[in-house]
Amino acid sequence: MKKAEPLLKVRDLRVGYEVPGDLVVPVEGVSFDLNPHEVVGLVGDAGSGKSTTALALMGLARPPGKILGGTAMFDGRDLLSLPDDEIRAIRGRDIGIIVQNPRAALNPMLRVGRQIGYAYRAHNRVSEAEARKQAVEMLRLVGINDPERRVEAYAHELSGGMAQRALIAMALSSTPKLLIADEPTSGLDVTIQAQFLDEMWNTVQKTGSAMLLVTQELGVIANFCDRVLVLHQGRIVEDAPVRQFFSDPQHPYSQEVLRFYHERSDGFPEQVSGGAGFLRTEQLTKHFPLRNSDKVVQAVDKVTISVAKGEAVGLVGESGSGKTTVGRCLMRLEHPTAGAVVLDGQDITALNAAEMRKMRSRMQIVFQDPFDSVNPRWTVADILDEPLRVHEGGDKAKRRSRAIAALEQVNLDPSLMQAKPRDLGASTLQRINIARALICNPEFVVLDEPTSVLAPRARNSLIALLARLQKELGISYLFISHDLTTVRYLCQRVAVMYLGQIVEEGTVEQVFSAPQHPYSQALLSAHLMPDPTRRRVDHPVPAALDGEIPSPIDVPKGCYLASRCRHVTETCRANPQVLSELGDGRTVRCERVVKGEITPEDFADA
Amino acid sequence: MLLRYITRRMLIGVVQLFCLVIAVFFLIRLLPADPVSRLVGLNSSEEAYAQAAAQLGLDRPLFEQLGIYLGLYPEIAPGLLQGSLGVSWATGSTVGSEIATFLPVTLQLITLAFFLAFAVSIPVGMLGALNPGKAADKGVFVYSLFAGSQPEFWWGLLFVYVFYFQLGVAPAPLGQLSPMTFPPEPVTGFMLIDTLIAGEPAKFVEALHHLMMPVITLAFILSGPIIKMVRQNMVRALQSDFVLYANLVGLPRKRVARYALRAAMGPSMTLIGILYGFMLSGAVLVESVFSLGGIGQYAIRSVLAFDYPAIQGVVLVITAISLVVYLLLDLIHAAIDPRIAY
Amino acid sequence: MTEFSHDVLLDEPAYVPPARKADWLMRIGVTIVTLVCFLALFGPYIGPYDPTRTTIRIAEPPPGLTEIPGLMAGWIGGTLDHPPHWMGTDANGYDIFSRVIAAPRTDLKIALLANLLSLTVGVFFGLVAGYWRNWGTELLVRVSDVVQSFPVFILAMVLVALAGRSATNIIIALAFVYTPIYLRLTRAEVLSQTSRGFVEAARAMGNSELSIALRHVLPNSLTPALIQSSVTIGFAILLTAGLSFVGAGVRPPTPEWGLMISTGANQIVLGEWWPSVFPGLAISLTVFGFAVLGNALERRYEKG
Repeated sequence: MKKAEPLLKVRDLRVGYEVPGDLVVPVEGVSFDLNPHEVVGLVGDAGSGKSTTALALMGLARPPGKILGGTAMFDGRDLLSLPDDEIRAIRGRDIGIIVQNPRAALNPMLRVGRQIGYAYRAHNRVSEAEARKQAVEMLRLVGINDPERRVEAYAHELSGGMAQRALIAMALSSTPKLLIADEPTSGLDVTIQAQFLDEMWNTVQKTGSAMLLVTQELGVIANFCDRVLVLHQGRIVEDAPVRQFFSDPQHPYSQEVLRFYHERSDGFPEQVSGGAGFLRTEQLTKHFPLRNSDKVVQAVDKVTISVAKGEAVGLVGESGSGKTTVGRCLMRLEHPTAGAVVLDGQDITALNAAEMRKMRSRMQIVFQDPFDSVNPRWTVADILDEPLRVHEGGDKAKRRSRAIAALEQVNLDPSLMQAKPRDLGASTLQRINIARALICNPEFVVLDEPTSVLAPRARNSLIALLARLQKELGISYLFISHDLTTVRYLCQRVAVMYLGQIVEEGTVEQVFSAPQHPYSQALLSAHLMPDPTRRRVDHPVPAALDGEIPSPIDVPKGCYLASRCRHVTETCRANPQVLSELGDGRTVRCERVVKGEITPEDFADA
Repeated sequence: MLLRYITRRMLIGVVQLFCLVIAVFFLIRLLPADPVSRLVGLNSSEEAYAQAAAQLGLDRPLFEQLGIYLGLYPEIAPGLLQGSLGVSWATGSTVGSEIATFLPVTLQLITLAFFLAFAVSIPVGMLGALNPGKAADKGVFVYSLFAGSQPEFWWGLLFVYVFYFQLGVAPAPLGQLSPMTFPPEPVTGFMLIDTLIAGEPAKFVEALHHLMMPVITLAFILSGPIIKMVRQNMVRALQSDFVLYANLVGLPRKRVARYALRAAMGPSMTLIGILYGFMLSGAVLVESVFSLGGIGQYAIRSVLAFDYPAIQGVVLVITAISLVVYLLLDLIHAAIDPRIAY
Repeated sequence: MTEFSHDVLLDEPAYVPPARKADWLMRIGVTIVTLVCFLALFGPYIGPYDPTRTTIRIAEPPPGLTEIPGLMAGWIGGTLDHPPHWMGTDANGYDIFSRVIAAPRTDLKIALLANLLSLTVGVFFGLVAGYWRNWGTELLVRVSDVVQSFPVFILAMVLVALAGRSATNIIIALAFVYTPIYLRLTRAEVLSQTSRGFVEAARAMGNSELSIALRHVLPNSLTPALIQSSVTIGFAILLTAGLSFVGAGVRPPTPEWGLMISTGANQIVLGEWWPSVFPGLAISLTVFGFAVLGNALERRYEKG
């Protein structure tokens, strides 16, 4: 694959910024080559300097950062030492870039078509009308339906995936030789992410550009890249073809990153028996009224789930599917519009305020954002003491020793007791949140995407910790997540949600090896497995979904998936679907599956 | 859509004004001031006192007084419903006509000061924003803190001392024109316009000369917060993701600057609304230093004379103007930024 | 199910920036504010003359720069028949220097008390209006918005003039016009804190609403109001002086900067600059000092 002359030759790139009395250098000596038509992944933890490196290749650094040294030879010129006019001419014409958080990268006050036009006209001598035509063409190329209408849209009117496509259209409008994609899918949902990466890969193949794909997801690397660069502590520590990287990582950091995937066994968590329905919901429904309107947002629609004692049930779905609202209703942080939540035979929606407060010692929740979940002014000791103070009171010294024990339970050092949240990292804080949730020995815990803000490595070890705690303490979990890999590892059963409804429910083995509902199938096929031997780009992908999730305000009349499903018929559009039990104990909300008209595709080794 | 929004805002404004009128009406009558003895003197006879009170209508029950003010008894006296703001107790002429004479002076002063302040502050604020951390930025920053925290009336006096007494380049602080000059026929009430209408360019120049120092004084004070605002919004815009991305796709520098400027303008609109109140307060003091005879001085005179109808009139007019200003600013903001929906 | 043999903490050590030194601007602010506070406590006693008694020397200009060393020596040596008037005397014969240093007692007292009052009331109602949202608290916010939209100076002038020109009335009037600022600031912060995870977590833990509001929300919502108070104290001094200047403030002979400027205002066209310039300089520096301090606090808070 290597060619004689690389397209881009980076040597000893250094980027840093000054703080009073000190110089911080997050990128300290990055060197690599990039060949024409090659797709190269740049992988590393958050804060490893990936994005800074990507920006520096364009001759820019986010203030107060500065490019301190090094060269980046492109077409015989050093990008880092070019005068402003010349580097501006190269940006966008020879090197295109797309960034994370695409909606913020678009000018909020200009129509998308105009912005693409400006970018095109900056590098091509054309009239405004021609630039507009090019904008429409580019939007069509990146897979936007109805581009003539979309060029008139403002950034805030676009969804995240749509905005990211608009950015690609802008970046590729002048057919650059190199496209830099800086975590382009970080805010996107699973199905949209896969859809988008497919489109991006295809577009790059069509324009013949090389691509530098910056990401921290190994799944993205495995499926789309030819070669991997690993950035660790400001340096490239590994540079290998993608298959070799996954099968035989050289650097200790790479080995550490890949360990989780290697250690994972093929088995599924064993089922627990007894205590069925320890926690259950009955036809749980939550509507949010809209301001200045008589319409409502149907966040949760008649959800019935049940968690046995000591069982972990996964609740998966994309953002907007209502899974977080289910968790909040279970904790009665949100009062359900209809339906019941029953814990150990008691309907908690019927409890009064005092009874509910008492009940809260038996059920707890861990939130998504560890920093946001703790009072920033309190010490760890205060934070862990709070539930004990509320529910048990009593001797201060005794409570303190309980707090220390709780810290040790989550493998943290008792010396952290006096630390404040701002001194701690995300994964440490999330452990403190877990310790706080467990300190009163609850029987049931809602885990609301507890790992989603963590870096992949920290994510793995936190999941392992949660699995261990469950086994030791016999707690029941409701694990809310969009990350299928973690669900598969931690949970015995799983429920798939779409637009406020459960569309399929069964054991993890059933759902993951042979998903029945078209949405479950799409969700699983959109999941990017970190396995370079079965690359998504090498074979046609089954079960993809079209378009985007409909608004929960105007839900479709019939099947909620009708607008995106490949198997849709007229009856699907007309008839609301009901959950029906299949022979093997699982339930599916699709009449065509029940009638045997849709055969599950093979996901045995997903 | 737009029209409906404006109508709705106007209606809310009228309700607000109505509530304010009632609140002010009771508030000033609740406070322990005695307007009658202010009028007839402290040691007047009981008879004279009662007669004066009857003349002012203060012998009637409170709610009847309110009714008269609102215009529910047009047979006694015209009120708000008839478009009348009442009669001043101190001068005997209608409050409406008095405000009509005094208001243009103030509007002229703050408009000129406002534009002068902006003309100076935008380039200065940009200078700071474009050189973050450098000496120029620090200088701009300290200046804006300083100017924004100064007593305007003292600076007015200082300018009078330096430019009138010491240097002799400014006129005496005795009004809009020199006391010797015969003022032109008031048509609009705005001196600068009236002199032009009367076809007297010499008086126009004289009026401008007299306005120079009050305008500079007020503009100096105003420049503090405006520079701070321009600098802050510009810095924020320059650091925004979309400006960075505009650079990343290689847009020309001019285009990028235009992106940033437009982004900085939106949030400035809200602050300008706050400045309006700040300016009016400043105008009261500056007018009284330079004896300009604007609505501010009228307010001072009415307050010190316990002239209730005049106080109510001033409050009403100032609030009505501020409601219109806020509405206009919101409309401009929406025109600049498509994310703002009505 | 595979168990992990290892469980390592994976947070990189957070970068701890070196402790930031106070910049020179902040030092100026602190110095000025400290000096003014000192004068508010001791100013009336340390001046060479009684600030509320006239002398027989009317409108005497301050000594020229060259005379100062001689006067200094004579004053210390006790050879002068009366202490020098360092800043001259005004048209009534008051010693300006003694009055300038005695005035913080009046100005700062009014500013501080008015602020304390409005801060307390504003924060309380801000917390209530932000945490318990219903039509009653919405109405409260609307009313406060209307008050805030009206020019502060004119409102204060009306209140003080009609209620009677006393320090107490000025304090109450200023507190009234400043309360909406604190209410709005605190309410906005409460609203943003209330949606944060730790408030939800506290609820999930079984805390009562009152306990959440007082233990979690209030302490985390105070900062903006406290920063604002430094700025507002400065503005309150300006306002107090402005009220005196137009004749709606404290009554003479109370030593108060605005009143002193107003006394000298008529003479300034005649070239007698000193009765107005010195008190004005005092206001200028004092308010600047508070503004600088407020700004420094704000920047420190923003950077964490």
